[in-house]
Amino acid sequence: MKAIKTLILTLVASFAATALHAAGELNLFGWSEYVPQDVLEGFTKETGIKVNFETYASNEELLSKLVAGGGNYDLIQPSEYAAELMIRRKMLAPLDKAKLPNLKNLDPELKGQVHDPEDNFTVPYMSGTVGIVVNTEVVKTPIKGYKDVFQAKFKDRLVVLNDNRELVTWALYSLGLPINEINPAALAKARPVVAEWVKLVKVFDSDSPKTALLNGDVDLGIVWSGEAAILWNENKKFQYVLPAEGAHRFIDILAIPANAPHKAEAHAFINYILRPEVSKIVSENFPYTNPNLGARQLLTAEQLANPASYPPAGAKLQTFRDIGKAAADIDKLVTDLKSAQ
Amino acid sequence: MSAVPAATELAPTDSRRPGWRAWALLAPMVLWLLAFVVVPTAILLVYSFCERDEVGGVIFTFTWENYHRVFDPVYLRIFVRSVYYAGLTTVICVVLGYPVAYYIARASVERRNQLLLLVMVPFWTSFLIRTYAWITILKQDGLLNGLLLSMNFITEPLGLLYTPTAVVIGLVYAYLPFMILPIYGSAEKLDNSLIEAAHDLGAGPVRAFSSVIVPLTMPGIAAGTLLVFVPAIGMFAITDLMGGAKVPMIGNVIQNQFLQARDWPFGAALGVIFMLMFALTYVILQSRGARHAT
Repeated sequence: MKAIKTLILTLVASFAATALHAAGELNLFGWSEYVPQDVLEGFTKETGIKVNFETYASNEELLSKLVAGGGNYDLIQPSEYAAELMIRRKMLAPLDKAKLPNLKNLDPELKGQVHDPEDNFTVPYMSGTVGIVVNTEVVKTPIKGYKDVFQAKFKDRLVVLNDNRELVTWALYSLGLPINEINPAALAKARPVVAEWVKLVKVFDSDSPKTALLNGDVDLGIVWSGEAAILWNENKKFQYVLPAEGAHRFIDILAIPANAPHKAEAHAFINYILRPEVSKIVSENFPYTNPNLGARQLLTAEQLANPASYPPAGAKLQTFRDIGKAAADIDKLVTDLKSAQ
Repeated sequence: MSAVPAATELAPTDSRRPGWRAWALLAPMVLWLLAFVVVPTAILLVYSFCERDEVGGVIFTFTWENYHRVFDPVYLRIFVRSVYYAGLTTVICVVLGYPVAYYIARASVERRNQLLLLVMVPFWTSFLIRTYAWITILKQDGLLNGLLLSMNFITEPLGLLYTPTAVVIGLVYAYLPFMILPIYGSAEKLDNSLIEAAHDLGAGPVRAFSSVIVPLTMPGIAAGTLLVFVPAIGMFAITDLMGGAKVPMIGNVIQNQFLQARDWPFGAALGVIFMLMFALTYVILQSRGARHAT
């Protein structure tokens, strides 16, 4: 839904932009609600490069489009597990680091991650976690992990991401199983857990799970940390908790497809985003964890104190790995359990 | 025909066979149908026998596997539920839409146009925005609960949003105009003298309605039913937004195959079966209608 809204905005913006006689072009394919309009305009103003911005709502949608051969994209924003798959399938172009001096601003902790051990193909854009939001005005009992959320007393008071892999991952965490080994045995163990859980959920929403919490339709949620951060900014009653059993950490990255027609422009854009003052604008609009240490210094104390954006160290976090065809098994399992209600 | 004078006996071919002019006029439509109906359907059919590869691409082989999966009880149950929801929506639309359409058709010409405009006005706003408006009305601290609470009809806010009721409300709201307009079309053409004749022959209002008015407006009801039922069964936006994506409908399942699960061949197989079912229902209805007419 959001994607459509953003698409319309983008179309309007791109029509406005055609009026300018630009030096070059950049076809950006990014998440809906993730790249601030100010950043795009600032880049065009400075370089004269026109940005054509298209959006998607999930990594799977991005992969579908790229695999189907649609669009000549110059820059994409996959999450780490999708990037891992693309690197393996040689779908990404290696980066020319000489053109990216601002890489020095990045948090070294995010370098050399499993999806791209040499950092040859990817640059972190934002990272975040999937955790629990509690409306502490209504829920008085302590909530520490997935098992505390999915209790019978919270039936119809829960919102969770409408994402089948996330749901199965939480079940695997709660069982103490590895989250990236999706096989029939693991799914068989997760099945009864997920079956109980889906009965308790009131809303499945990946686009804007904060809405149901803000509207008072639910009291607890398992959502993207950026959504939780916005809720906390609205009202401090919304507390963010990283599940004790472990949580999914995602790293959204910038990468250039192998067949991108405008690679030089794409490098220019990446380097522009990596400037502290530009990256700060992203943080202000979308309060995920900013991997840019220079930008973090420009944030206010309150922004840095937001527990959803910058959670305390020591939590058990793991990124997703590519699971190949097992994605279809997960989809069938969750569809089955949802429809069995 | 035998009574036609010999002078008008032209070459019979001219009047029956469409000439090149007719084809020229039809060409845009034929091309349109080819490009946007025939070709996509053919692609769907081909894909439905293929396999998904690791990244979600399509491997061109021949397999019945996707069709085996379609008949898995999981998907059949979803199918049945979708038919139920769409059917319920259609029935409610008929019940709500018929009196409205009839009233509009019987009103004076000027008033009729005003009322028709009112039916169309919602289309000036995006469908998604109107759906979000319903969320504002139905949510827990929303307008409806606020009204009912302040009037002391209820003591606890009703949990309306994200329930099957909300889905049906959303569907009826979205498709009601598509029921009203065709019924209006039939009712407008209704000859008043036939109703008067029914009364003269001793039929009361109920009898006149059921034996005269309904059969004469049946084409409108049938067209409306088709226009409501078919889109309603495949709808996924309303089930996601107003139903909380809790209970999947067949539209959601198909959408999911093309996006999240990236299993295009299976999605294609679901689509093909879906289309076949509609075609079959349509053919059956048509042949029944034809038998009825003779």
